Amino acid sequence: MLARRRRILVIEDDLETAEQLVDFLSTSGYQVDLACDGNDGLSRASSADYTVMTIDRMLPDIDGLAVIRHLREGGIVTPALIISALGEIDDRVRGLRAGGDDYLVKPFAYAELLARVEALARRSATVVKDTVLRVGDLELDLVSRTVSRRGREIELLPREFQVLEYLVRNEGQVVPRAMLLQHIWDLHFDPTTNIIDVYVGRVRRKVDGQQAYPLIHTVRGVGFCIRAPR
Amino acid sequence: MLLAKTLRSSTFKLALIWIGIFGALVLALLTYVYWSTASYVHGRADRAIAEERTILRKVYDRTARDGLIAAIKDRIADERSEGDIYLLADPSFAPVAGNLKVWPSTLKGSNGWGSFRAREWKPDAADRPLLRATFDTLPDGDHLLVGKEIDDLDEFAQKIKTALLFGVALMFVLAGAASVSVTRRTVGRIEAINATSQGIMQSGLGKRILLRGTRDEWDQLAENLNSMLDRIEALMAEVKQVTDNVAHDLRTPLTRVRARLEKAYNHQRDSNYDQSLIGNTIADVDAVLRMFSSLTRISQIEAGDRTSAFRTVNLAEIASEVVELFDAAAEDKRAHLNAVVDQRVLVTGDRDLLFDAVANLVDNAIKYGREAGRVTVEVSQDDGVAVMSVIDDGPGIPDNECKQVFKRFYRLERSRRTPGNGLGLSLVAAVARIHGAHIELMDNRPGLKCTLRFPLPTRSGFENRNGLT
Repeated sequence: MLARRRRILVIEDDLETAEQLVDFLSTSGYQVDLACDGNDGLSRASSADYTVMTIDRMLPDIDGLAVIRHLREGGIVTPALIISALGEIDDRVRGLRAGGDDYLVKPFAYAELLARVEALARRSATVVKDTVLRVGDLELDLVSRTVSRRGREIELLPREFQVLEYLVRNEGQVVPRAMLLQHIWDLHFDPTTNIIDVYVGRVRRKVDGQQAYPLIHTVRGVGFCIRAPR
Repeated sequence: MLLAKTLRSSTFKLALIWIGIFGALVLALLTYVYWSTASYVHGRADRAIAEERTILRKVYDRTARDGLIAAIKDRIADERSEGDIYLLADPSFAPVAGNLKVWPSTLKGSNGWGSFRAREWKPDAADRPLLRATFDTLPDGDHLLVGKEIDDLDEFAQKIKTALLFGVALMFVLAGAASVSVTRRTVGRIEAINATSQGIMQSGLGKRILLRGTRDEWDQLAENLNSMLDRIEALMAEVKQVTDNVAHDLRTPLTRVRARLEKAYNHQRDSNYDQSLIGNTIADVDAVLRMFSSLTRISQIEAGDRTSAFRTVNLAEIASEVVELFDAAAEDKRAHLNAVVDQRVLVTGDRDLLFDAVANLVDNAIKYGREAGRVTVEVSQDDGVAVMSVIDDGPGIPDNECKQVFKRFYRLERSRRTPGNGLGLSLVAAVARIHGAHIELMDNRPGLKCTLRFPLPTRSGFENRNGLT
């Protein structure tokens, strides 16, 4: 955990959803500020320094996208996660074009929300340029693109290596399926098939098969997580 | 009622405007005909008079005043000269010789032309006939007048005028009557259609417009409207079917969720039991949400507002990526999945949608194909189209169900028990449709071959997009 508590701004007009968001993000270690409409959100986002903000797409006074556009025009670059009931790619593209950094469709799993918020929060932190990543006894050499556990090399296809690298870079965090699809395959939709599970399943067989302990875990209904046993 | 509607009708107003325009033209034409006929007839009379005057002048020049008087008397005596007027008068206009008793007061002067009526001419006639004459002054100061009775000519011109006016009036009346009757007919047929439309709005789609069997344009219109109504009725039935299916597919998981929650409610709290129960419930709810997102996704694709974001994409590359992604899934079923693709097969489209469509086809081929079977994805460019096929060697789809499988929620009888919501091929069909692609299911003996034919991108990008549907 960082020394300074990370501050997050939630702009959401539906009271119950707002309450749940505040509750959930607080217990996840954020200091949460809530704005109930677009104008309130605009003034809060401009006056304080937030690590991340979440914005509901449809607000009673100003459109969520307009809020982001105003902020970006005013030089505020706080990463923004757009939360929308509208869904689908067109809308997503419009949101990202307006200056949003990520997009989440209602209804969503809180684990997925957290994963996306964390990813955005990390974006503003400095990235350490490691050449070797480690989780437990797993070692990823980013230069030679090789993987090994306890010195024994594991054969992975290039795409499988990318999947594993992405999981390892998000060690301890849940990585939702849609995020994997987005970052590894550059696809922006929720798959209608269970194909990602099958694909990650094979990576897991290669990585965790005949080992002392498993590293890759499935989080039901959301995605995957890589972590070493405590 | 019908008459009032007729008079209000735009057809009738248009007809009136045209009658006005044509009437003005015809009137102008007939006026010209009348004018030229009248001037021709009068011109002839004038020429005859002028000729007679010239002859008499010659007589005068040869034989002087006495000869002229003799010639005038000769002419008056001649029966053939009936209707001709002659008058020689002295310089004070007092008659000397001729058949006119008084020099007409309107024609005083040295010479000229004129028309007049003289009381003394034919005193027994009912009204005084119209006379036309020319007059001249002779070298010795006498005045010579030569003329003709032109009453019958004038009458002829009047008759022509009457005939023409009558013709114009008749034309207006007939045209007016014709436009009323045509408009009435039109208004009558439209009224019938209106009445049926109102009936449909009030009591449902069952009604149809009656045909008269004349095969005219009105019958054609009625037929087209009727088939449009048939189509709407069929679509409504389809919507109802989809709604029923959604209700059914919703009820099943929701019933399970409800039963599970009810059981848990009555059960003692037990963290292990609760954990698995909540997990199962989330999975069921996720399935419902997935179904909804598939449905909205299909209708959004069908709404077609994404075509503006189309780019040129390499179909071969997309297919290879799908095959790579599904390699693991094929391995699970011990199926052999491979791609036979050309280097570059460019189409105009949306990468996400195309990926999803190919993924659905490959997923189906693996899921419903043979255990340890073979699934091949082929992409090639052929004869101006990009062709993408997914081929398996499984049980295939019966011929009579080939059309049905693209309907939402349609599932083959034998696959009802396997997981799935019957939306995959609907999505493929929707994606194909907005890409202007033609979709085809073929028997691969054994197995199924599903082929999509895309139009190739044109230089300007989008022109050909709907070319092959």
